[in-house]
Formats: sequence, C-alpha cells, structure tokens
Amino acid sequence: MKKIAILCIEDEPEVREAVLRDLHPLESHFIIEASGDTADAAAVLAEFANRDVLPGLILCDHRLPGENGVEFLERIHKTEDYRDTRKVLLTGQAGHKDTIQAVNHAGLNHYLAKPWDAADLVETSKDQLTRYVLGREDVDPMDYLEVLDAPKLLEAIAARGGPS
Amino acid sequence: MNTATSLLTRRNIALIIALIGYLVPWFVEIPGLSEAGHRLLSIFLLAVILWMSEAIPLFATSSMVIFLLVLTLSDASEDLMWGVAEGFTDGEAPAYAMYFATLASPVLILFLGGFFLANGAAKFGLDKNLSAIMLKPFGTKPTRVLLGLMLITGFLSMWMSNTATTATLMAVVLPLIRGLAPEDRLRAGLALGVPFAANIGGMGTPVGSPPNAISIAALGDAGSVTFTQWMLFAIPLTAVMLVLTWLVLVFCFRTKTPAIEFSMEQKWNKSTPAWIYYATAVVTIGMWVTESLHGVNSFIIGLLPVTVLLSTGVINTREFRSMEWDVLWLVAGGIALGRGVAVSGFDDWMVGLIDWQNIPPMFIGGMLAAAALFLSTFISNSAAANLLAPMAVAIATSTDSGPVATVAYVALACSMAMAMPISTPPNAIAYASGAIRTPDMAKAGLIIGFIGIAALYLLLPHLVRFAGY
Repeated sequence: MKKIAILCIEDEPEVREAVLRDLHPLESHFIIEASGDTADAAAVLAEFANRDVLPGLILCDHRLPGENGVEFLERIHKTEDYRDTRKVLLTGQAGHKDTIQAVNHAGLNHYLAKPWDAADLVETSKDQLTRYVLGREDVDPMDYLEVLDAPKLLEAIAARGGPS
Repeated sequence: MNTATSLLTRRNIALIIALIGYLVPWFVEIPGLSEAGHRLLSIFLLAVILWMSEAIPLFATSSMVIFLLVLTLSDASEDLMWGVAEGFTDGEAPAYAMYFATLASPVLILFLGGFFLANGAAKFGLDKNLSAIMLKPFGTKPTRVLLGLMLITGFLSMWMSNTATTATLMAVVLPLIRGLAPEDRLRAGLALGVPFAANIGGMGTPVGSPPNAISIAALGDAGSVTFTQWMLFAIPLTAVMLVLTWLVLVFCFRTKTPAIEFSMEQKWNKSTPAWIYYATAVVTIGMWVTESLHGVNSFIIGLLPVTVLLSTGVINTREFRSMEWDVLWLVAGGIALGRGVAVSGFDDWMVGLIDWQNIPPMFIGGMLAAAALFLSTFISNSAAANLLAPMAVAIATSTDSGPVATVAYVALACSMAMAMPISTPPNAIAYASGAIRTPDMAKAGLIIGFIGIAALYLLLPHLVRFAGY
C-alpha cells in the first residue's frame, strides 16, 4: 500500500510545532513532514517521490524566507506530479492579490486564517485528504475508512463494488 | 533491496507455482485420465493456484482460463502445434465459440439485469429510503435495532451486491458507532451485523451473489433452477440464518446502552427518470419472482431493465461503462471451466477416484458444503464456487444426491464463510472501519459458519424437495 504524506511549510519553529501537534490525530495513517522554507519543501517532495510516497496535502504559510508560499504552490501546481495534491494556505498575511493569484493559478483548495482552531485544521485536512484519496485510482479508500470521512469513502466503495 | 530478492515477491512465487502446476499434467501421465482430461487438469491446477493466491486479478485468471480452454480443448487446437486431444466425452473437440459464449451466458445477462437495478437504486437513493422506512418499526432498543438493521441489509443484499449493500448501510451505522463509548460491545455487534447480514442475504436470489449464478450455470444439462424455485429454498434458509446470526451477535456482544437511534431521513426522488426506474424495478422483480406463473424465464427478463434503462437514458453512458464488468468476467471463467470439466471427461475420472455409492447422498452435500465454507473463508466466494461447482455437478450426476441440491450446498456454503476480514469484501469493509477487532469477527464468524453448515445439512434437502425437486 502506498503511503500518503502531509507536508507543512512554516518558517517559525513554534508555529510549526503547533501545527504538527494539532495534526497528531492523522499520524496513524499519514506521513507528516515539515519544512521551514520552500527550498527545503522541494527537497522533501523529491524525497517523497523517491520513496514512492504520495504527496496528498500541503499546508503552506504565505510569508516565508525567499520564495513565498503562493509562488511555491503555483510553481509545483504546474507540474503533473502535484496537480492533484490538495493545497491549503495557512496564513495570516496573504493579501487580496496573493489569495486571488493562489486560487486562479496555484489550484488552491482551501484557506485557513491564522490563528487557527485545532479542530478546524484537522477537519479541513481530513476533508482535503478524503478528496485526494477518492481522486486516485491507485489508493484503496478502504485503507482510510477509520480516519477520514467514512460516509464519503463508503459511497465510493459501494459504487466501485467488487465480487464477493 | 537487490533485484534477486525483489523478484521473489509473493505474487511472482504464485505465478511460478501456477506455471509449474500447469505444465505437470503435460509431462506426467496420470493413469485412467484421458488426454483431454490431462489438458483440463492443467488448466484446473493453474486456476486453483491463481484464484486462491490472487497473484493476478480474479477476472484476469478467468480470461486466461477461457483462452487456454480455447487453445487446448477446442476445435481450434487442430491448427496448433499440440493438436486436438484424444478422449473427449462426445468423441470430438467442442467448437471454440462454446467457450467464448460463456461470456454471454444467460445467467450473466440475468446478473447484468441485477446490476442495472442496483445501480439505479443507488443513483436515486432507493436503498437509503427503503432502509429508513423499514428501520422505523424496530424502535430504539439496541437488540431490536440490530435485528431491523440486519433484516434490511439482508433484504437489500438479495438484489444488490453484498459489497455495495454493506458500504451503503455502514455509512448509516458508522456515525452511530462512533458516538458509543469505546468499551461498549454494541459497537462490534452493529459493525458485524451489517456485513454478516449482507453475506447471508446474498444467498436469497440468483442475482444476490455470484456463487449462486455460477452454480446455476454449472448445472448445464444436469438440471435447471428457476428464479422462483431458487427463492423457494434459499429465502427460508436466509431468514433462518439472519435470525440465528442476530442471536449469536446479541449473545456475543452484550450492551448496557438503553437506546439508540439512526438519523435517517427519506428523500424520495420524484423526477421522471426516477419514476421510470421505480416502474422498471417493480416490473422486473415482479416478473422474476412470478416466473412459474407466466413462464417467461428470468434470464430473458434480465435484459428488460438493461434495455429500458439504457434506451431511456436513465442509466447513462458513464454509468454503463462503470458497471461491474469484472464480476461478469470472473463468473464467465468459472462457467467455462465447468464446461471444460464436462467435455474433457475430467469429471468422470475425478468422481471415479472415490466410491461414492457407499456414501449417503446427504453426507455428500455436507462434505461439499464444508469444503466450500473452508475454501471461501480464505479466498473469494466466487472463486471458491468457480472451483467447486463443476465438481459438485460431476459428483451429483454419478450419485443420487440430486444436482440442484448438490450445487446449492456449494453456492450457499460459500456465502456462509465470514470468519476473517479477507473472507468477503463486506467483512473487509467492517474491519477497515476500525469498529471491530479481528478476534470478535473470528469468534462470531466461526460460530455462524458452523451453524450455517448445520442449517444447510438439516434444512436444505427438505427445502429443495419443497421447491419441486
């Protein structure tokens, strides 16, 4: 079974720790990694590709040292490998223009404003990952019944069927 | 990991064993078995290993079985290096088209009709609405709700695939389960009630589960079963098994929770396509269950919903393409293997290995049922039926056990295997939900398997006689 990963990109160490702590409920089923800037994030994604790990969800801050979050998301969205990766901005500082840019050109799926609510972050992540799982032919929705949106996954299982 | 070890995967090992299994009868002479029988044995061994290991998808094995039958056991082998085999039952090799024709067997058309009804039910929410209506009278007492849930699941599963039924009902049950305390045993009771009832409900009609179709097709010239006749012996058994399974679950998983309630609302789709679907479903099922009154056989009626729903556009191109064609191919492989067994004389040889005359007919059925239960606990029910149904027919035609009863033992026992997550897709769904532990499933599933075999042994002969055999 192919593993699915969540990548969190956030430059402030305390904030990064907080996000990782909040994502704890997903640890049983997903690989969770964090980066401090987009250069490191790109290296982590390359490493995922090497190990056959699927990039399921990227939670990205906007203001980062060097390339900013929206630019990074836009850049990877252009490549086939990350087209269906779910992309969420987790930020307090993305302005109007950046956000519009992200929606129109980076395939942004969701916007979470800082400060975030832990339950909201987990629910958003679950919802995005459910969509990711359902969009992939090579992932069995059954493997995520316990942790993601079960009714939606079951609907897909019912439609796919299979012999008894 | 180096290349040497990475090539030794479970899949590759199974493929190698399958190849060896296939080649052995080509080089080893088995006394008393004709040349055609040797070739069939080759294909049979290959099918056993591939269907059991699932080294390649089940339907791919089916395709391979049909292809090999055509290449080595039909008139097409005349032009090939190995030539036509000696020793066919009829004296000559069958036409290759006979094996191709299994892909359009009447029973597959019947099954396709079933797919269309199930597909429409899901599309228009009929399954959920029926569940909501039927659950109401059972109140809120947990044991009663469980009974209601299992009866509904069983009923829907007679017409829809066991997998789809389980997934649909689990979507209703899971939120409720997650609301219960982690130590409450009712969680396991509810999470097992749905897949178990779906497995058992599949026995009820010829379209309920592939083993039923495989068994009906395996009968070939040895006998025939109408839709109504099948229901006459299978429904009482299904009902008895549902109630007994409910008792086992109530006994195994006691709860102190005083009341539970599902939040299900009815949302009836009243669009024109929905009405066309409702009417088609009512007419189709109505004609299926009254086959003995009007005489139009159920296979032919199977094409009615297909034609009506396709030509009215109620089932669209995308939905048509996403039908479970793989299941039809899987079943066709089993039917083709059965044809091969019959034409090659393999059946006579195999039956001749044991002196059946000294074994009471009732005991033969019980033995086959036990074998089917054991096999389908570990492999797909359909694959188990594919392998055992031809054997059952062969044994039945040379003993007094009655062909219909004998294949029914196999088909129904296949549906009673539910001791492990891998036993059936419904079990796998329940297990994946995280609401049960493997020991819970093993304990309840084993008890139900034993009760099932006992029920078959005690009731089936009488029920089959009651159905007119």
